[in-house]
Amino acid sequence: MSAADAPAAAPHVELRRVSKRYGAVTVIADLSLAVEKGSFTALLGPSGCGKSTLLRMIAGLEEITAGQCFIGGVDVTETPPAKRRVSMVFQSYALYPHMTVRENIAFSLSIAGASRKVQNARALEVAHILQLEALLDRRPAELSGGQRQRVAIGRALVREPEVFLFDEPLSNLDAKLRVQMRVELAKLHASLKTTMIYVTHDQIEAMTLADRIVVLDRGNIAQVGSPLGLYNHPANKFVAAFIGSPGMNFFEVKLDRVEAGVAQVAAPGGGATRARLRAGAAEGPLELGVRPEHLSILPIERADAPLKGKIAIVEHLGNATLVHVDTPAGLLVVEAKGDLAAAQGAQVALALDETQTHLFGADGAAL
Amino acid sequence: MGARESASVTSMLRSRRAERLTAAALMAPFALVYGVLFVYPTLKMVELAFTNAPLIGPGAWVGFDNFRRLATDRLFSTAFWNTLYFVVLTVAPSTLLGLIVALGVNRLKGWLQSVVLAAFFLPYILPVSCVFHMWNWMFDKDFGVAQYILAPLNGGQHVSVFRTTPYFLPAVAFITIWWLLGFNVLLFIAGLRNISRDLYEAAELDGASRWTQFRRITWPLIWPVTVLVFTIQLILQFKIFDQVYLFANFIVRYDPSMVMVEYIFKEAFQQNKGGLAAAAAVILFALIMIISVLQYQLLRARGQK
Amino acid sequence: MSAGAQSLRARVDAPAARRLTRLRRIDRIGLLITIGTLALAILWAFPLYWAIITTFKHEYETVKPGLRLWPEEFTFENYAQVLTHTKIGIWYINSLITSTAVTVLVIIMAAGAGYAISQLEFPGRRFFWWMILASFMVPIPALIVTHYIVLSQLKLINTLAGVVGPQLIAPVTVIIYKQFFDSVPKDFREAAVIDGANDWQLLFRIYLPMNWGITTALAIITFIGAWNLFLWPFLAVSSEDKMNITVGITQVHDAFGVHYARDLAVAMLAALPVAVVYLLFQRRVTQAIMLSAGIKG
Repeated sequence: MSAADAPAAAPHVELRRVSKRYGAVTVIADLSLAVEKGSFTALLGPSGCGKSTLLRMIAGLEEITAGQCFIGGVDVTETPPAKRRVSMVFQSYALYPHMTVRENIAFSLSIAGASRKVQNARALEVAHILQLEALLDRRPAELSGGQRQRVAIGRALVREPEVFLFDEPLSNLDAKLRVQMRVELAKLHASLKTTMIYVTHDQIEAMTLADRIVVLDRGNIAQVGSPLGLYNHPANKFVAAFIGSPGMNFFEVKLDRVEAGVAQVAAPGGGATRARLRAGAAEGPLELGVRPEHLSILPIERADAPLKGKIAIVEHLGNATLVHVDTPAGLLVVEAKGDLAAAQGAQVALALDETQTHLFGADGAAL
Repeated sequence: MGARESASVTSMLRSRRAERLTAAALMAPFALVYGVLFVYPTLKMVELAFTNAPLIGPGAWVGFDNFRRLATDRLFSTAFWNTLYFVVLTVAPSTLLGLIVALGVNRLKGWLQSVVLAAFFLPYILPVSCVFHMWNWMFDKDFGVAQYILAPLNGGQHVSVFRTTPYFLPAVAFITIWWLLGFNVLLFIAGLRNISRDLYEAAELDGASRWTQFRRITWPLIWPVTVLVFTIQLILQFKIFDQVYLFANFIVRYDPSMVMVEYIFKEAFQQNKGGLAAAAAVILFALIMIISVLQYQLLRARGQK
Repeated sequence: MSAGAQSLRARVDAPAARRLTRLRRIDRIGLLITIGTLALAILWAFPLYWAIITTFKHEYETVKPGLRLWPEEFTFENYAQVLTHTKIGIWYINSLITSTAVTVLVIIMAAGAGYAISQLEFPGRRFFWWMILASFMVPIPALIVTHYIVLSQLKLINTLAGVVGPQLIAPVTVIIYKQFFDSVPKDFREAAVIDGANDWQLLFRIYLPMNWGITTALAIITFIGAWNLFLWPFLAVSSEDKMNITVGITQVHDAFGVHYARDLAVAMLAALPVAVVYLLFQRRVTQAIMLSAGIKG
């Protein structure tokens, strides 16, 4: 890593060239990551991409086979978890069933030998922040999913850690509760301003909560950036496909010529269109990516439209309409206004916003 | 392995050491007890079997002599066959009876079921010497209540159950079944409860009779428990000693009813022949192992077919 | 009703009627089964009832011909005799001491070893586990000879400690603890580790408390087993002062000749504590039995 790449302020949490091996299997190879103080960083990716492993390496629950981990500038690679000043909220909450909420929250204090008075005081403080006062004497079995979630957060809070680690905390909640808890987490971060690292496979959670997202693909970092940055400027096809719902449309195009940073390409079915070219050059098989909201439906009579097809399915969401169109380029999804009148089986033409197209090369990298 | 890798290895070593110390502290008493009271005695038993040592004290190595002697010893073969006989009398009958009783008890509900289950299970809780006194009294030649049933079968004469050799082992077997049935019933009930009611209801709608339901649903699904109970009883009854010894205590010549552990006991503690007793113990151990493994595999295989 | 409807009804009704009679028949069989079970239960309980009731009869009544299900004259004299003329007090104490010692020691060792094998990495872990599984196969009665030799070398023959010794081999208990500790989800351990707990705190504040029910069940059944043990205490102890009650009651009768009621009284007193424990903790006992049988299977 050269000096030019290093962030301006020293990162709060840093993984330097870490690798994780289980016997002969390498799960993570030579990965480097820097998290800024006070940020909310999401580790996003499909299952098996290594995001939980990374989190656990930061926590100290997994051995780092090679490489180093720094927290607050201190090398903690060999430090046991309890001494790293991190707290973790588990996917299953891991609330001790035989202890009350108060005892669960104060557990770390009682391990450290704090007096009963101190334990109760701190537990009360934390319960107040999370609105759990009424539940302090209950057992986890008597609580709802959302309440248990908050107790787990409370237990993490009470230690006043430097870094909060979240391992898919919302995946066990039902959809409505998830939205609610997302807001609470966002509020918590805003008020505490503690560094938070959040693992999830749900890109909506990452997009709404994080100020920086690290997208992981099979043990490698696919891209790091702000939510909008990843959305609008994906560095590769993996990120482009993973972020955004409904997902980006992809289809093969043939390169006609390149003119001043703009590629003239031919879509399947003969239509011509233009696409941004950041890399300056392009060769080999190309794929063009365009998000559903950047496609629009035009009457079939438009001869200059790059794509033409037949409407296969129309999905009315109320605030938008998703139209699935069968084209020579494949089944494309168009996001249109909520009151669009579209008939199944109708022949339509598709136009795309040429400033919002992305070209991807054979290796998946954005061009 | 670069510098960074070896650094994390040292951290692994450091926490490993703490783990090892804790493990040592937790395992130490256990290891000590097991070493002194299991490993050493087992090895010593095998070693003893090849010597002519008395109970306490050293002896000379005699190779397979002890085993040769056991092969020709009439008393040993009596003990051996008696043990087998006893096993046949108790294991299969108590297993089957346990299943039958469990089927009946499982139909009851609430407090009645608890009371009935307790009636069958309470004997299991009693110490063997208590059971001995109880049944010694029941079968007493002069005043025992069982004579009301036995005497008419014996042409009006009272039966001295434990002094009459052919009656001895069957009687003890009967008492043993009474004593241990509750254990089997309990296991079978647990197994029966695991069979979903839906299966029976579906069968009833299909018009299956009770017997068919038993044959096609209950029996196959309870098979693993049946095998388990059978195996446990088998291993248990091979080691029989307490009640046989106690009931035989009255007889001057109790040899004909001797069982294997009794033989071991007699040779070691009365005849002072440690080596010989150890040899018999080794044979018993091998027997139990072989038969239980064999039988378990055979029955399991049959069930899987 | 039209003819067609009538015949349809008949066709529907006939099998239904058959099924109804079959149901009624099944219920009759069901009733028979229930009655049979109850009858068998009564038969099964009879010996115990008969023994207890005999202890409350005068000795002369026990030898009178005829079946009396209730004493002509209810008396406590047999129990009085037992309590004053035998060493039953000492035997009770011995049994209490040895059974409690066995229970406490077995639980502590088994929980510790079970935790270590389940949660910790250390050299020899696999070996120990193997050894425990192996000790299962070896029948303890086969080891009486060598146990006697070892304990006499340790000069522990005829002592309470010697009685306790071999009873500490309890592989089933260790196996049950290990399995229960194994079943605690890893998250709990990790959460506690992040909170700073060391292994001792983990064992005593997380793993054991989460499994109190098991500990209770195992303790009760270990106690009952130790109380009822006959063979080893019989071998290990020769003086009446050191006997536990299960052995002691077999030594009563030859001294005074044949006294049925009194012998039964002493037998009932021997069984009383464990019977009470069972009746109080029925559920725990049955749970423990099913656990240990699950292990053997």
